[in-house]
Amino acid sequence: MLICDEYLTPASLDEAFAAMEKHRGHYRVVAGATDTLPWARQGRAGDVHIRALIDVAKIPELNEKKTGDRRVRFGAATPIQRFLDDPALGRAMPCMPRCAVWFADDQIRSLATIGGNIINASPAADGTPCLIAHEATVELAARRGGKTARRKMPLESFITGPNKTALEDGELLVAIECDALPGYGGSFEKVGHRRSLVISLVCLAALVKLDSTGRKIEDVRLAIAGIGPLPLRLAEVEKFLRGGPIGMERLERAAAMPVELVASRTRQEYRRDVVRGFMMRGLINAARRAGADAAALAPELEAAYA
Amino acid sequence: MPDLHFVATVNDRKVSRSAKPHQRLLDFLRDDLNLTGNKEGCGAGECGTCSVFVDGVLMKSCLMPVAKAQGTSIETIEALARTGELSLLQKAFHKAGASQCGYCIPGMVMAATAAIRANPFVGREEIKERLGGNICRCTGYQKIFDAVEMARDVQNGTLPATAFAEADAEQGDFIGKNVRRIDAPSKVSGALKYAGDMTMPGMLHVQVLRSPHAHARIVSIDTSAAEAMPGVEGVITSADVPGEDGFGVFVNDQPVMARGKVRYVGEAVAAVAAEDPLAAVRALEKIKVVYEELPAVFDPDEAMYDGAPVLHDYAPDNITMHVPIRVGDVEKGFAESDLLLEENYATQAVEHAYLEPEAGLAYLDHDGVVTVVSPSQNITHHRRLLARILAMPIAKVRFIMSPVGGGFGGKEDMIYQGMLALLAMKTRRPVRLVFTREESIVSTAKRHPSRTNLRMGLTRDGRIRALEMKMISDGGAYGLSTAGVMRKAAILAAGPYVIPHVKIDTFGVYTNNTPSGAFRSFGALQTEFATESMLDVAAERLGLDPFAIRRINAMRDGATTHTKQKLGSVSLLRALEAAEKASGWEAGAPVSRGDKRGDLGRDGNRPPVSLGARFETAEKQQAAE
Ligand SMILES: Cc1cc2nc3c(=O)[nH]c(=O)nc-3n(C[C@H](O)[C@H](O)[C@H](O)COP(=O)(O)OP(=O)(O)OC[C@H]3O[C@@H](n4cnc5c(N)ncnc54)[C@H](O)[C@@H]3O)c2cc1C
Ligand code: FES
Ligand code: FES
Repeated sequence: MLICDEYLTPASLDEAFAAMEKHRGHYRVVAGATDTLPWARQGRAGDVHIRALIDVAKIPELNEKKTGDRRVRFGAATPIQRFLDDPALGRAMPCMPRCAVWFADDQIRSLATIGGNIINASPAADGTPCLIAHEATVELAARRGGKTARRKMPLESFITGPNKTALEDGELLVAIECDALPGYGGSFEKVGHRRSLVISLVCLAALVKLDSTGRKIEDVRLAIAGIGPLPLRLAEVEKFLRGGPIGMERLERAAAMPVELVASRTRQEYRRDVVRGFMMRGLINAARRAGADAAALAPELEAAYA
Repeated sequence: MPDLHFVATVNDRKVSRSAKPHQRLLDFLRDDLNLTGNKEGCGAGECGTCSVFVDGVLMKSCLMPVAKAQGTSIETIEALARTGELSLLQKAFHKAGASQCGYCIPGMVMAATAAIRANPFVGREEIKERLGGNICRCTGYQKIFDAVEMARDVQNGTLPATAFAEADAEQGDFIGKNVRRIDAPSKVSGALKYAGDMTMPGMLHVQVLRSPHAHARIVSIDTSAAEAMPGVEGVITSADVPGEDGFGVFVNDQPVMARGKVRYVGEAVAAVAAEDPLAAVRALEKIKVVYEELPAVFDPDEAMYDGAPVLHDYAPDNITMHVPIRVGDVEKGFAESDLLLEENYATQAVEHAYLEPEAGLAYLDHDGVVTVVSPSQNITHHRRLLARILAMPIAKVRFIMSPVGGGFGGKEDMIYQGMLALLAMKTRRPVRLVFTREESIVSTAKRHPSRTNLRMGLTRDGRIRALEMKMISDGGAYGLSTAGVMRKAAILAAGPYVIPHVKIDTFGVYTNNTPSGAFRSFGALQTEFATESMLDVAAERLGLDPFAIRRINAMRDGATTHTKQKLGSVSLLRALEAAEKASGWEAGAPVSRGDKRGDLGRDGNRPPVSLGARFETAEKQQAAE
C-alpha cells in the first residue's frame, strides 16, 4: 500500500518546485502513478509511507503540444493514449500510434504518461525506442537558487541504465522534443506473454521514408528495446539501408545485423529469433505504410512476416 | 494527516465529502460510497474488475489516486442500470450466458460499454483488443465477445431487440437446452454482493501476519505492543484456539495459525482486528515474533530420504499419502510386449487465480452462534471442523456460503475462516478479512507439481499389455486435499484403456513449499498427462495414428476399470470421434512436417498475435470516404 500524508496537485511548475522544496527528501513525484502504485505492493517495495506525493500530471506546461514542420514538442505528462487520439501527433510521429496500441491496455494508457515511462527507464519500456528513433531530446527543469534552471539532452544519453536516468535531485522532466517525420511509414512490433498488459520481451520501432518511385529507401529509423539493459538505436543498419532498394535480399541482410546485439539476461536464443523476424516485419510494415510500390515488396515476403 | 475535500459527480449525484489522501478511487467508491459493483481483483492494474468511467474515459480505479478524480464525473457499473432496467449490453451478457462466477463481469460490461461507445460498429477483433485489459477466468471469453456483438447489432438495428427476450428452454424441459442463469442479472448489474463487498455495522478489519521463513521454530510471539495500539480491538495467535487446533480435508494437520513452528513462507502466524485496515497493518508491524530457523526441504524426492527435515511428527517419512494399485503382473506384461517404453514426465505448480481473492466476514449472532460468511466450496465440512477447533457444539457454528467469485478447487480449504471466527468471538464484533492478490497467491493451495516415471509395454498391433507408473507429488507444507488428489491420480492413471497388467504408485509428500490442494481434475491431469503423452510416443514408434491407438485400447460399455468399477456405458469412442472431427485431424502416424503442415492457414486457425484492428477500421473508413 502507498501511504501518504499529503497528496498535492500543483497547478504550475512554480508551485511544483515550491512543494518539492518544502518536502525536500520526503516526497515523490507521480504523473500517471501507474508505475508507482503497483511498485508499493507486497513482493516489491511493500507498504511505503511517503510524506508528500506531488502529482505533476495536471501542470499545463507538462501538457503542451506544438507540432512544427521539423520538430514536434509535447509535455512530459502527455498520456500515452493521446498518441492514438490526436491525429496531428500521429501524423508527426507515425510509429507512436502503433506503439500506443500495444501499450498496457486502453484504460491504463489514459493515465500512464510518456514522461513516467521515460523516468521509470525500464529496459523493456515501450515508449522509449520510438522516441529514440525520432531523435528525442528531453527538457529538464529545476529550481536552483530561486530561479528555474533548464537544460536539454538527447534521450539516448539521458537513460543510463535499467531504472536509471540522468535526472537530478529536484529536477522535473518538462517536455520531449522529437523529429517530426510526416510521410514516413511507421511500425511497432512487440512480443510478450500475452497481447495486452504485458511487458515487452522485445519491441522494435521502425520508420521508413521512400522516394517517389516507392522502391527506394530515402530514410530509415530503427530502435529496439528488451534485448539488453538499454534501448538501442540501430544506426549501422540504418546506414546500410539508406539509399538502397527495398528488396528481399537487402532486407534479410539488414535483419541479420542486430541479432548479435542481444545481451539480455534471459532467453537470448529466443530473442535472437525474434529480432530477426521483427526486423523483417517492422521494415515491411513501415515500407507498406510509406506507400511502397506493391511489386517491390514480394507478396510471399509480406505473407511470411507482415 | 490532513484529509482532502473531495468533490465530484458520481453516477449523476453530487458528492462532497472528505477522503484520505492515500485512498485510491476504488477505495473511495467501495468503502466510502458503498458502490461495491466494481471489484478489486488485483489492485495492480492487471485484471480490470475495477474499471469505471472518469469524465467518460474508462480507467482502472485501482491505479487512480482519488485526488486525481477531483472535480470529475464518475460512472460505476451501478450507473448502467440505475433505472432498474438493464442496459443493452447487460441484457446481452445475460442472454449470451456470458457471466459465470460473475466477478469479472462488472468490469467486462464497463469495458464493453467503452468499446461500443468508441466504435458503434466495432468488429470482433477490435472487441478483443478493447477488452484486452480485463481478465476472466471462467468463460473462455467467447460468450463475452458474443454478447458484445449482440448488443452492438441490436443498437445498430441489425438485430431485433426481441433477440434478448426469446425464450430459451420450455418450462420444465432443460436437458440439452440453453438455460438462462437466474443469477445473471445480479452479476451483470453489479448488485450481487461477494464476501468482500459485505459490511456490517461496527465491523472491524482483519490483517494477517505471515511467516517470512519456510521452516522455523517459533520461540516466542509478543503481541502486547500491538494490543495496546488505539483502534486495535483484538489480536490472536494459536494460543487463542480453545479446541483441537487442526483442519484439513483428509488429515487435520494444519493449525488455524502456526503452532510451535512455521512450515512455509506465507503461513499465518497471528491476526489483528482493528477499526480500519491501516490501523491493522500498523499493528502487524508491532507484533514481535522470534524465530529459530530450521533446515527446510523443497524437493519431494529429497524429502523422502532418510535424514531429511521432518515437517510433521506424525509422518517421519514426510509421506502424506501413498496409493498403490496392482492388477495382474506387470513383469509378465512387459515380457509379452514387442515395444517397451520408459519416460519421465513432470508438471508444475499452478495457481487457480480466481478473480475473487479470498474474503470473509464473521460475527456472533444474538444467540451466540458464531457465523462465518465466505466463498467456501465446502461449508458443511468446514462447519464440522470449526466446531471442533472452537470446542463448541455444532449447533453454535454456522457457515454461510457467499457467492464464489471463482474457485476451481482453490476455495475448498478452511485457510482463513478459523481466524475470522476467533476474532469475532474475541472482539464480539463483526470482523472482515479481504486478501490482497499477493496474499492469495502466497498463502493458498496450488495444483500439485509432479514427477512421473512411466513404463509402458505394447504389442506390435498397438495393444497396451502393461503399465507401470510411479508419481511423486509435492504436497507442500500441509495435507489439505493431497490424500484425495493422490487417490484420484492413481485411479485414473492408466486412462480409459483396457490394460491387463497395471502397477501404479502415487505419493504425496510434505515439503516446505506452499501447500498443494484441490485443483480442477484433482490429480488426473498429472498422471494422465504422462499416459497420454506416452500413447503418442507409442503411436509414433509403431507407425499408428494417435486416434487409432486410443481406439484399439479403449474401454467399451460394460468394461471394468483397474480399480474394479463396472462401467455401464463408456463414451470414449464418441468423444474421440468428436475431437477428431473438430480438430480437423489429418490421419496417420505422427511425423514432424514443419512448414509443410497441411493445417496452416486453415479456416478457424488462429493467426499469430497482433494488435491494431482499430487501424484497419480507420483505414477502411478513410477509403470509404
Ligand atoms: C498493468 C500494467 C501494464 C503496463 N504495461 C506497460 C506496457 O505495455 N509498456 C510499458 O512501457 N509500460 C507499461 N506499464 C508501465 C507504466 O504504465 C508506464 O511505464 C507508464 O508510462 C508510467 O507512467 P506514469 O506517469 O503512470 O508513471 P508514474 O508512476 O507516475 O511515474 C513513474 C516514475 O517517473 C517519475 N516521474 C513521472 N513523471 C515525471 C516528471 N515529469 N518529472 C520527473 N519525474 C517524473 C516518478 O517519480 C516515478 O519515479 C504498465 C503498467 C501496468 C500497471
Ligand atoms: S485492475 Fe484494478 S483491481 Fe485489477
Ligand atoms: S465469470 Fe469471469 S472470472 Fe468468473
